[in-house]
Formats: sequence, C-alpha cells, structure tokens
Amino acid sequence: MAILKHPLVGQIRRKPAKYIAPFIGLVVLFYLVFGGSSSYKKPNSPYNYKKYSKDHNDLIPRNLPADHISHYDLNKLASTPMAAYNKERVLILTPMANFLDEYWNNLLRLNYPRELIELGFIVPRTPEGDQALKKLEKAVKKIQNPENTKEAKFVKVTILRQDTESLKSQLEKDRHAFKVQKERRSQMATTRNSLLFTTIGPYTSWVLWLDADIVESPPTLIQDLVAHDKPVIAANCYQRYMNPETKEMAIRPYDFNNWIESDEGLRIASTLSDDEIIVEGYAEIATYRPLMGHFYDAAGDVNTEMQLDGVGGTCLMVKADVHRDGAMFPNFPFYHLIETEGFAKMAKRLGYEVFGLPNYLVYHFNE
Amino acid sequence: MSSTHTLQSPKQFRSDDSFERPLTKSAAQINPKSAKIFTPAKSILILVALLVCYIIVYITPNLELFTYTPSFPSSEAQDTYFYDLKDYTGTPNGWQNQDRVVFCVPLRDAASHLPMFFGHMKNMTYPHNLIDLAFLVSDSSDDTMGMLNNYLREIQDDPDPEMRFGNIEIFEKDFGQSIGQGFSDRHGFSAQGPRRKLMARARNWLTSVAIKPYHSWVYWRDVDVETIPPTVIEDLMHHDKDVIVPNVWRPLPDWLGSQQPYDLNSWQESDGGLQLATSLGEDAVIVEGYVEYATWRPHLAYLRDPYGDPETEMVLDGIGGVSILSKASVFKNGAHFPAFSFEKHAETEAFGKMCKRMGYSVVGLPHYVIWHIYEPSNDDLKHMEWMAQEEERLLKEKDTYKVYNKVYKHGFLDVSAEWEDEKPLILRNTDSSRSDRKIQVEWEDVDDFGTDFSGNSPASTTSLPEEKVDPAVADDFLDTNPV
Repeated sequence: MAILKHPLVGQIRRKPAKYIAPFIGLVVLFYLVFGGSSSYKKPNSPYNYKKYSKDHNDLIPRNLPADHISHYDLNKLASTPMAAYNKERVLILTPMANFLDEYWNNLLRLNYPRELIELGFIVPRTPEGDQALKKLEKAVKKIQNPENTKEAKFVKVTILRQDTESLKSQLEKDRHAFKVQKERRSQMATTRNSLLFTTIGPYTSWVLWLDADIVESPPTLIQDLVAHDKPVIAANCYQRYMNPETKEMAIRPYDFNNWIESDEGLRIASTLSDDEIIVEGYAEIATYRPLMGHFYDAAGDVNTEMQLDGVGGTCLMVKADVHRDGAMFPNFPFYHLIETEGFAKMAKRLGYEVFGLPNYLVYHFNE
Repeated sequence: MSSTHTLQSPKQFRSDDSFERPLTKSAAQINPKSAKIFTPAKSILILVALLVCYIIVYITPNLELFTYTPSFPSSEAQDTYFYDLKDYTGTPNGWQNQDRVVFCVPLRDAASHLPMFFGHMKNMTYPHNLIDLAFLVSDSSDDTMGMLNNYLREIQDDPDPEMRFGNIEIFEKDFGQSIGQGFSDRHGFSAQGPRRKLMARARNWLTSVAIKPYHSWVYWRDVDVETIPPTVIEDLMHHDKDVIVPNVWRPLPDWLGSQQPYDLNSWQESDGGLQLATSLGEDAVIVEGYVEYATWRPHLAYLRDPYGDPETEMVLDGIGGVSILSKASVFKNGAHFPAFSFEKHAETEAFGKMCKRMGYSVVGLPHYVIWHIYEPSNDDLKHMEWMAQEEERLLKEKDTYKVYNKVYKHGFLDVSAEWEDEKPLILRNTDSSRSDRKIQVEWEDVDDFGTDFSGNSPASTTSLPEEKVDPAVADDFLDTNPV
C-alpha cells in the first residue's frame, strides 16, 4: 500500500494524460517502426525473418501440379515458315503510350489463330499511360471475357507498367526533335527490353514487334512475315495523308530506321566518340544511307526482300531464338546505334541476317 | 569524490522536493518552462506530428496515389495479367519484403555434383517459398535430368512446407558444345573464346525464359560450389547493389599449397587492359588469367584478406559467373551475357562491362569467400597419377622386402654372434685411446695403391679388386689391416 502513497503515483492520479499519453505514444511508435508482424531468427543466420504463413497472398499460385515442377524441352521449339500449321506461338509486343481504337481493331483483324497469339503491352508511368491503360483494360476485358463466346480469345495477355521514368511529353513534334532523340530512344529501348524479357516464354517461337500506332496492315501479316523464314524481317511502314496539292489521299514513307549501311555512315561513325549516336532521318547527320522507305515499288513483287543493316520497330518479325541468344535493344550507343537500329547490329554480331520487305506496307497513324 | 557528490545532489534535491506539494508548486513557478513542456495537449500534439511524419516517410513511397491499377479477375478476363514493374525492383532486405528471387543454374553433365548442390539448397536460409528455381540442362550424357528430378521431388515432398521452393522450371536445350568438359579442356587458352560464347548463349536462353515480371532478384549459381554460407543470398542482397559477386577460391590438395584463388574473371579494368583491347580485332575475346593476355588488372580473388571485413566492397568491371546476385531489372532492361565479342570480352566478363555501360553498379566482395570444388588439371592429374603409382610401388616394395628378408634368412648363415666375439680382436689395433702402443705399418706398396686408384699404373691393378674406392676408405682399409 506504501506504493500508492508514493508522490509519483499521486501525480499520475491527478494528471493521468500527462504521463500515460507519452508512454502509450512511445509504445505505438515502437510498434509501428519495429513491429507490425512477427519476426524471428534462424539458427544459422544473423538476419530477421518473417513467419511463413500458408494463407499469404503469394504471387505464384499455390499447389500447382507436379509439386510446382514443370519441364520444357526447348530442343523441340522451332520457328518455321509454316508457323500456323506447326502450331507455333507468336508473341505480339507493343509499347503503348496511346491507345488507338484503329490499332486494336487492326490487331483483331489479324487472322492467325488466336490460341497461338500471346499479347504483351507496356504502358509508361505517366498520366497518358493511365489513359492508355484504362482503354486497353476495357478492350481486353471485352475480348477475354469468359462470357464472350463469339470471339476467340488470345492465349495470354500480359500488361506491364514501366518502372523507369519516361519523357513527359509524347507529342509528335517533341518526340522527333533531334536533341532529345538519344534520351528518348534510350528509354524506348529500356521499355522494349523490359517488355521482351518478362514475356518471352519457353514456348514462344516468334516475336512480332508492332507499334501502337500501326493502324492498318494486311490481315495475314503474321503468316506473310513468317513465310520468309528470316531471323529478323521488317515490313515497310508508310503513312496515309491528304495531299494538299491534289486534295487526294496519298501515302508517304514513315519509318526511316530501316536502312542499308553506307560508306558515309561508316565514315561519320568513325569520327564519333564512343557515346555518340547516329540517328536516321535528320538533316543534321547526312549519312546517305539507302532507306527502305524509298524502295517501295507499287508495281513490284510484294515478296521482294532486301538485306538491311538497321531496322525500325514499327512492324518487325523476329525469331524468338534471336532474342534468346541475347539480341536486345541497346539503351546505350552500340556501334553508335541505339534501340532498334542497335538491335539489328547486335543480331548481326550474333551471326543473324536482317531483312526488309520494301513492297510490303503497313500504315502508321496520322496525327 | 567531490564531483560525484555534486552530480548526485540535484537528484537528491528533486526527490526531497516532491515529498511536499507546496514546494513543487513553487518550483514550477520559479521555472514555468519546465512545467509546461509536458502538458497533455502538447504531448498529444507532438505525438500526432510524429505519427504524421512516420506515415509520410514510410507509407507514401509505397502508395501510388496517382497511377491507375487495373485488375483482371478471371471472371472478367481470362489469362490476362497485370504487373507494375515498380513493385518488383528489389529491396535490400527482400527476405522480409516478399521479394521473389529466380535462382538460375546451368547444368551440363553435372550428376556427380547434384547431391552436394541440393545439400546447400536445403540449408539455404532465404525463405524457400520466395525462390523460383530455373535449371538449364544442356548436352548432358549422364543422368543429370533423372537425378535432378529425383532431388527436386524429394525437396518438394518435404513434410515441412518451409523447405519447399516456389515455382520450379527445368529447361532442356542442347547447344552442341564441341569442347570437352574436363578441367583442362575447359580452361585451356585456345578454348576460351568459343567456349565462353557458347556458355553465354546458354545463360541467355535461361534468363530469357526464366525471368517473370514478378521477379525482383536474379541469382546465378554454378552447381560445383563446395562450401558456401547458407545466408549467401541475404549476405549479397543487403548491399543493395545492381550486380554483386563474392570472392571465389578453391581448396587444393596439400602438395599444391592447400588453397588458391579460383575465379579470375572478377576484375577492375586497367590501362593495360584497355590498351590491349584496342590492339585486338573486332571478334577477339580477352580472357583473364592467361599469360597470353597480360592486362595487369587488379583481380578480386587476389585482394582477399582472410581476416578482412566481409562487408568490404570493390568496384568491378568484369565479373565471374560462379555466384552472381543481380536485381532482376538489370536483366529485364536488357543486360545479358554477350555471346559475341563485346568490348573484347564475352559471357560474364562482358556482362559486367555491359552493366557498367548501362549505368549499373557492379561490385565484388574481396573478403567474403565461397569455395569452388577442386578439379585437377592435366598436370595435376599426371602428378596425382605419379603419386598413386609411387604409393603402390612403396607398398609392393614392402612386400618384396618381406620375401627378400625370408630368403636372406634361409640363404645366408647368421654370423652376428661370431662377429660379436671376433669384433674386439679385429678392431684391436684401431683403438686410438691406447696411444702408447706401438703400431707397425707396412708402407711399401702404398704408392702403388695410390696410382692404381688414379689409373696411372696398370702394373698394380691385379693386386686389388677393381672397385672405385675413395681415399678415405682406402685409409681405413690400411688402418684396420692388422699387422
């Protein structure tokens, strides 16, 4: 009872909040900072671990068949010109900053069997990306809905949000300013790589890179490109526009990244320092490289092939083995080339040939 | 003493003071500030402020209030998945934050190493359910596949759910490697370029199919590691580097010096290395640790101090592939093991170079060591063969001597007892302690003896047996000759 007469107890009784509040506060703070969940030690480790709980919301599904052990024989994986007949899976990859209905409708028009098509999208970490994501979600939910029995479903759809920064403005004129090209294309390369290396699977035979602003292509696009049986093959990307003089719709070349190396290009490259790049289609650097965009012949054979040294990513079919061997989109100057052009160079360094189809057109959106 | 007294006195004063209320009050009046500090309103306000600070510091970076997150339940969209890559960038204490690690192991004719490897796997402290295993079995002629399956099934059937690993994928792909898998086949200088390019292809195939969007870390590990801490993943992870490797040594047999640096592919670039690189052709591959290419680079392996701080870091340019922990974003963003000459290197060394080029941190731990198994080289094998033969020969010799000894016993008469009797008589004259004794020595044919020895006088050769006798022996002979 003596303790109750202690002056400290008396003070606490008179003003309880004064003493108890800080104490409770400290306990709460301590709990928030250090506690939260039960941690424990393992006998052979100095670190703290969290208790394993069965009902933990895990990323991979629990209790997969065969004790989670799956087996893939990649020796049997092939990329042949008879892709559909051989049931080869095609992975269509699209970095998406804007969602265009025309793009989506064109994608749905492709007549390669959908049970063999896997889709992969990556959206930037910007408000625009949010907009694209919302529209994409809606479109995907329409086609992949289990209640939708009329349309065939894609075998798998993966949508990613980029973790790295992206340039704020994706406006047409900013996008093509020469000075921001290196930075923009470096980020684009990183984006493409993130998409590629998280979605390419042990069953993927072909990878089709299709830009989000390709709004028109032949419905047999996949079959046509695959039929050439080339490791890397690019379609010729054009754009429809209103000719102001004739007041008629006309077409003009759009993607200038498909080119053949020139002596002048090599000479310029030899004068540059290691971290400088050459980008095509700008007056600042005149490389005099023959551009595939200029080789289109409306009367020519649509199957004409030409060997290329640089490619663009607007519509590009790649055998998955090329990517698996390591050909990626360099986000740093690789032989003074970057992104898709650097990719072509890397594929060549790995011993693959790169081709283009000058008379096979796909159309870019006109903004 | 006086100082402690003055220190105690205020305490004394306070406790005395609190006994009587009026005095406390007056103290408060004298010093009004001290009384106001802990008013309930203020303390609660401070608390709230602290809480708000805590919430701002700890919670907001994890909450993205302004980005849209869609959801694709299978009732609305089949086989559709959304991942925000920012959720999987890897944290330094990933074992507490549910960071998933993809554990990549290339295998080739590795059946004999698997028991040891799975011993390490079972002991690993990183939560097993957060580890996804990816194996690439290539060009194997032994039962690597069968054994791998058995071991995996055993570990996945473990009654303790904490022992079981996450997703396990086994990939089979043959690359048609023409180079043998013996130590000297693999480590010969001329084999390095093509071998490393093939190894690089194999590694790229494995990463490209193994990495999923939800992986935060990638751990590469060779199967033939003999001794490794069970906490290796945590030990490497808490450094929070993009790419990090430990030091790799190997134990040696005693006759080779008991231990040796193993992995010489982890190094820092040097001027010598850069100079060498510019002098080589586009497809040349510099391989470290061979006299043919003297680069004078500082190697991680040689900087080891057995008593050094295991936390010490060293910036590297090229790395070895025995045990690499890297953030998954490094591979997701395109870094890979070049299967072509990249800046005059290939495979893991070029991977280090490429990571540097892409702006990632590449670090090695000189004093944190894991031990690779010892595999003998061709020279070692020859030496070991010789040692084995020598051992056998000695054993045989022992047996032969047993027989010989028997034969001697039977074939010769034992005269040792007689010798004991005769010895003092025969050696009588050699006792130098008795100097008073007069010894007569015949000196007559001594000269002849000497010349016969040098071979100048053939006349006397018949007098002595034709044996090479050195002068000392000859003297003894003369001395012991009884007169």
